[in-house]
Amino acid sequence: MRIQTLLLLLCLALLQFQAYAADRPPPAPGMVSTVPGADLWREVRQRDGMIIDGISQVKGVDTGVLINAQGDKWARFRINNPVKHAPTVIIAVVLVLLLFYVIRGKVGIEGGLSGRMVLRFTDFERILHWTLAIVFLFLAITGLVLLVGRPLLIPLFGKSAFSMLASASKESHNLFGPIFLVSLLMMLYSFARRNIYEKGDLTWLLKGGGFIGKGHVSGGFFNMGEKSWYWLVILVGLVISISGLILVSPNFGQGRVIMGISHVVHVLGAIILMAVSIGHMYMGSIGTEGSSEAMKSGYVDINWVEAHHDRWAKECHQKDQVISAEEFARLQGTSLDRANVEATEQAK
Amino acid sequence: MARMKFYCDAERCIECNACVTACKNENDIPWGVNRRRVVTIKDGEQGERSLSVACMHCSDAPCAAVCPVDCFYTTGDGIVLHDKDICIGCGYCFYACPFGAPQFPEEAAFASRGKMDKCTFCAGGPEVDNSSDEFKKYGRNRIAEGKLPLCAEMCSTKALLAGDSDVLSDIYRKRVINRGASAFDWGVSFDKAKLSG
Amino acid sequence: MIGYLIDGPLWYFSLAVFSIGVVWQLVAIIFASRKTDLSVARGSASRGAIRNVFSRFIPHREIAPQIRVQVVAGYMFHLGLFALLFFAAPHVIFLEENFFGFGWTAMPHWGFILAAQFAFLGLIILWLRRMLNSVSRLISTLDDHVAAILTFVVMLTGCLALLEGFHELRLLHRFTVELLLIYFPFSCLMHTFTFIPSRAFTGAWFGRRGIDS
Repeated sequence: MRIQTLLLLLCLALLQFQAYAADRPPPAPGMVSTVPGADLWREVRQRDGMIIDGISQVKGVDTGVLINAQGDKWARFRINNPVKHAPTVIIAVVLVLLLFYVIRGKVGIEGGLSGRMVLRFTDFERILHWTLAIVFLFLAITGLVLLVGRPLLIPLFGKSAFSMLASASKESHNLFGPIFLVSLLMMLYSFARRNIYEKGDLTWLLKGGGFIGKGHVSGGFFNMGEKSWYWLVILVGLVISISGLILVSPNFGQGRVIMGISHVVHVLGAIILMAVSIGHMYMGSIGTEGSSEAMKSGYVDINWVEAHHDRWAKECHQKDQVISAEEFARLQGTSLDRANVEATEQAK
Repeated sequence: MARMKFYCDAERCIECNACVTACKNENDIPWGVNRRRVVTIKDGEQGERSLSVACMHCSDAPCAAVCPVDCFYTTGDGIVLHDKDICIGCGYCFYACPFGAPQFPEEAAFASRGKMDKCTFCAGGPEVDNSSDEFKKYGRNRIAEGKLPLCAEMCSTKALLAGDSDVLSDIYRKRVINRGASAFDWGVSFDKAKLSG
Repeated sequence: MIGYLIDGPLWYFSLAVFSIGVVWQLVAIIFASRKTDLSVARGSASRGAIRNVFSRFIPHREIAPQIRVQVVAGYMFHLGLFALLFFAAPHVIFLEENFFGFGWTAMPHWGFILAAQFAFLGLIILWLRRMLNSVSRLISTLDDHVAAILTFVVMLTGCLALLEGFHELRLLHRFTVELLLIYFPFSCLMHTFTFIPSRAFTGAWFGRRGIDS
């Protein structure tokens, strides 16, 4: 027993000598670290936007990502911006147009309608337009149900009924989306040539398109306003369609960040299109005298053409495309003679 | 009132995935749905850490905020649950959640994702407690039986803790005090550059 | 209560009206009296009949350019509709449970959606053409419009119920299907069955005279 204690004391003594060797630096003061790996966790927390990709035995989309700080940012953005402001934007546009109609009134034609018509849009072109319009309206309504349904419709219908409406909206919205894309591409093919900007369009813009004041503004087949609306629809529509396709096909392994960006782009594009389309609907219906006939029968009054699209009017006269009122009525299957119409009805 | 939370001690987690297995088994979760997962950061390098993550039952849950049909609700214990009868499977909660907790059974193109499924803190759902309907939809309701979530119970190193936040922070504080300067933090004990001067 | 009616008595009623109605109409058409054809046969009537049933799937060269829209949209609609009626997974299961007792391989889900998109676009284009072309508009009857719109509503309610999570939406779809089945035998939708005897008759009539119709 005593030898072991002596040996132990000897070892301890030797250690003391070793500790005081000249080439070893003095021991550093102990560093108290309450959170080991603080730097690592700061990176993981993503405060500076970097996503740290770890690994997980669970395989799936984004399973290696511990924290995705973009998610909450996207959620708050969605709630504080599109959800809050979309109804306001749409109602504001409607009110502005109402005000415009009350103040400026319907844009009339000097000399009124003549009854002599010229073909503006073929059957196929009108079919394309109305297909796109119907599909767009359907997508807009179902999209709005999903966007603002929670604050606006749940108080009206209750959660159960609304969730049924929301599910129906979501499924049909996702199905009709690609139909919108196909219709859009058909519109692109059909109308692109006539919508290319040309000489005279800038003048039209600078003169305010004839809205301000009563001046006559020159225009081609499509005026600059129509062309700009067309390109807005094509470009924003393509953006909406592509972001929509990204959103609806999660099987390609897109992460949540891509989905969030696609969603924001999709919603903002949709709100832009909805707002401007209200203006388009106004112009095509009650805003201008003689415009609505273009998309119904495809024919427009020659006076309307002279008033709004005089460069095209020149072409129509040159190619002798103007038809009389009787000819127009015959083509529509109606007759100017009312008695004739009633006799046909009775014979049926 | 208790505020239920999870806490995963990164110093203790050994990536055994017992929590994942326990959750899957106890709640009879179908293929492809993963309520809990273990994520390993810096795998194979110095400073490797693993964390078990599932729904964190946030006080201001982004999933609840963004849901278009408002299917989430928070129980009195602070547990965030949702109603599968109302869920429309849009996936927004998944985009919003920082932890990727919401899971979906379908992932095909143009298909609905199906009803969202996530960690329920073993507290079931809006159906009647411990009914077969509740089990089919949401899994076991251990909280109603007075027990804690099975993932934490099964953790081999007691890295994953689940329970009242006051109790958890107490446990963790004691661990930190007992550890002192961590032997795992190489930077303190062995980095010569840091020791000089 | 309504659900019970839609899944029960109304379903059987609509099936009965449909099956009895279709058979009745076909019998009435096929066994309607015809004048004896006294002309000298220059060709085979039966060959002409069979030939015409298939040849009419492609429009005559002379009028093809004028009816491009109807042909393309028509095929889009019909092919999409048949694909989704008989090969969409929910329908395969429905037919297996309620009619055949056996099922068959269904399309993948994206195929179902694609078929539905073709069908919707085709139907919208066709109905718009009916409304926008002045001749079509004038000769269209209420029957034509109701048939188109009712078919569209059936497809739309089906689309609304795609999540297969809300029984009210499924019931709505089933209800519109039952309305369509009841409407079917009394409408132009009978072309589903009558196009074969109709083409065969025309083909036989011309074939007997040695003309490829």
